[in-house]
Amino acid sequence: MTEKNKLIIQYIVLIFASVISVFPLVWMMIAATNRTVDIIAGKLTFGTQLVTNYNNLIANQDIFRGFMNSVKYSVIQTLVSILICSLAGYGFEVFHDKVKDALMALILMSMMIPFVALMIPLFRMFSSVGLLNSTLGFILPSLSTPFLIMLFRAAARSFPAEMIEAARIDGLNEFGIFFRMFIPTMRSTFAAALTVTFMNAWNNYIWPKVIMQDSKAQTLPMMISNLTSGYFTDYGALMLAVLITTLPTAVLFLALQKNFAEGITGAVK
Amino acid sequence: MKRKLLGMLLTVSMTATILAGCGGAAPAAGAGGADSSSPETQTSDTAGASAEDAKEADTQDASADTGSAGSGDSTLTVWTWDPNFNIYSITEAEKIYQKENPDFKLEIVETPWEDMQTNLGTILGSGNLSQLPDILLMQDFAFQKYAITYPDMFTDLTGSGIDFSKFGPGKLGESTVDGKNLGVPFDAGTEVACYRKDILEQAGYTVEDLTDIDWDKFIEIGKDVKAKTGYSLFSTQAGSADFIMQMIQSAGGKIWKDDGTPDFVGNEILVKSLETYKELFDTGVMDTGNSWDEYIATFTSGKTLGTINGCWIIASVQADETQSGLWSLTNMPKLSGISSATNYSNQGGSTWVITSNCKNVELASDFFAKTFAGSNELYDTILPGCAAISCWTPAASSSVYSEPIEFFGGEKIYSKIADFGAKVPAFERGVYFTEANTAIATAATNIVNGADIEKELEAAEETVNFNMGN
Repeated sequence: MTEKNKLIIQYIVLIFASVISVFPLVWMMIAATNRTVDIIAGKLTFGTQLVTNYNNLIANQDIFRGFMNSVKYSVIQTLVSILICSLAGYGFEVFHDKVKDALMALILMSMMIPFVALMIPLFRMFSSVGLLNSTLGFILPSLSTPFLIMLFRAAARSFPAEMIEAARIDGLNEFGIFFRMFIPTMRSTFAAALTVTFMNAWNNYIWPKVIMQDSKAQTLPMMISNLTSGYFTDYGALMLAVLITTLPTAVLFLALQKNFAEGITGAVK
Repeated sequence: MKRKLLGMLLTVSMTATILAGCGGAAPAAGAGGADSSSPETQTSDTAGASAEDAKEADTQDASADTGSAGSGDSTLTVWTWDPNFNIYSITEAEKIYQKENPDFKLEIVETPWEDMQTNLGTILGSGNLSQLPDILLMQDFAFQKYAITYPDMFTDLTGSGIDFSKFGPGKLGESTVDGKNLGVPFDAGTEVACYRKDILEQAGYTVEDLTDIDWDKFIEIGKDVKAKTGYSLFSTQAGSADFIMQMIQSAGGKIWKDDGTPDFVGNEILVKSLETYKELFDTGVMDTGNSWDEYIATFTSGKTLGTINGCWIIASVQADETQSGLWSLTNMPKLSGISSATNYSNQGGSTWVITSNCKNVELASDFFAKTFAGSNELYDTILPGCAAISCWTPAASSSVYSEPIEFFGGEKIYSKIADFGAKVPAFERGVYFTEANTAIATAATNIVNGADIEKELEAAEETVNFNMGN
């Protein structure tokens, strides 16, 4: 087989894979501009119903409030979570000893406990201290995640020990090393962590659903669920809501795409 | 040194901002008082608090968290779903009740049924019933399950001033346990058959030919229509036994023995239903959709010329306004060779529940007594507003029910449905209805693919017994 043929086959496979991955997104956009009956019938061209769908959507759900709630919860959770987990991951690596390594293994093991198993005890705790319907109640269970700690620990491993030594000799204290050397060097890891945490917080559904018992505290994913609950589902409005919900994460991901790939593989700049 | 100080300051201010952000951010409206009071302090309190302390806190927070603290006892919290149907209906009821009780207010939290089950599971599982709302809406198929498993979550409404004698016995049975009324019946799921008149006419039939008939006759006509037009008469959703359950109910059948164990093997009505189901499938008179959306698509975009389901399906039938005037509505076919068979059944519907956590049961009962169980005005509003068919029998005599509906060629479909509804045989769903439904759905799929009915029913019975822990 010639080089050219190989390339052609490669391209065909890649184009095929791209179409499969991009199709749902394109379909979502198309559906947001069509009537429900056309969507169900499988229409694959853009329609003219975007404005109607939008009007139906805002008549049905307070989508702006949902958007603002989602932004608030997600941004706060992302910032606090990254601060805590990066400090923890850095600490576990740089100051590691036998006890801390064992503790780290324990934290990793907790990844295996499914969230639904923790839901009832968490709900008991949170309702007894009045944290229902609050931002703190939303973010607290997922502030520190084993995955993020692991990610930052791996990043700290590739952070040269000589640099830390040199900084110490120059008189920088440990927090100074973390904030002024580790963070700038590990920008890509932080970008990756930011993307993952923000997406998780943004898409978080089951926990908010359990603790946000006030309509005014509902997030976008909860509103999408509301849209599917009736005897009749307006797919046009639903798809528009899904599109609106997807946009912020898509924009964030595209903006940090380059860093994301580097961060996950643990590169040092 | 300066830089170090600056770094420290930045860190401290960042942390402070974040914490302040958390503290002030309790968006709860009704619950404002209890929730927004610096959650940080509350967390640190709990760290050292004993279990008893936490329990005490439970009761203190309860009234606040269910959403009505501070607004007095005349505000009730409601969990329900669907702004176009349930939420619309209870809001109209609120307006009617407010005429006499201006202080009365409902705080409605939109909660889809799937989510409500998660919420109820969490609340009931944690044993903290104080987090329940005052009122919630419950799907009829799940009512018995909750009523028998968690009797503590209901307020017994027998003798509460609500006149239950005005509800049809079939519907009332869904929310009655041991003679106690645990809910206020709301919408009905009376079985209707909707057909496209224009396509039937092409094959030389009218909707009258499909009215008051049995399935044998239906299949005969269906084969002819299929040969002439290519359309199936109706469709079902594959992998669900809802339709088979509707057939069983139409014949006054049952799926449970008196001792509560499954009654599948040798159940004449169930066997006949499955045989009919297989024949409908084999002859192509019935089409199937693999998902709910596909099922809806079969009749909205032209693979089948009709649908047979609970009357709420009308909302989906009417979605395409270009088909206005082409549809007609009638009753479902009955099982042949069964003496108790009727042309009437039910699929779905829901019932209002006043929970045991309701802080003003008297007010809530009075609200229902004067609206859903006593207001013609309410049903006259919500029928044209959202096609909510009443289970409250006096409503059916209202003039609104005999309005001609243009989409159905000027037929008085609502009085028809109300008439059907009064003839629906009662059906005992039991606690394990969902399990039975799933097991029979599996059996039905295998039977359609050629498996032996008796063997499949034995297997289904075994599965349900296993699920029940027998």
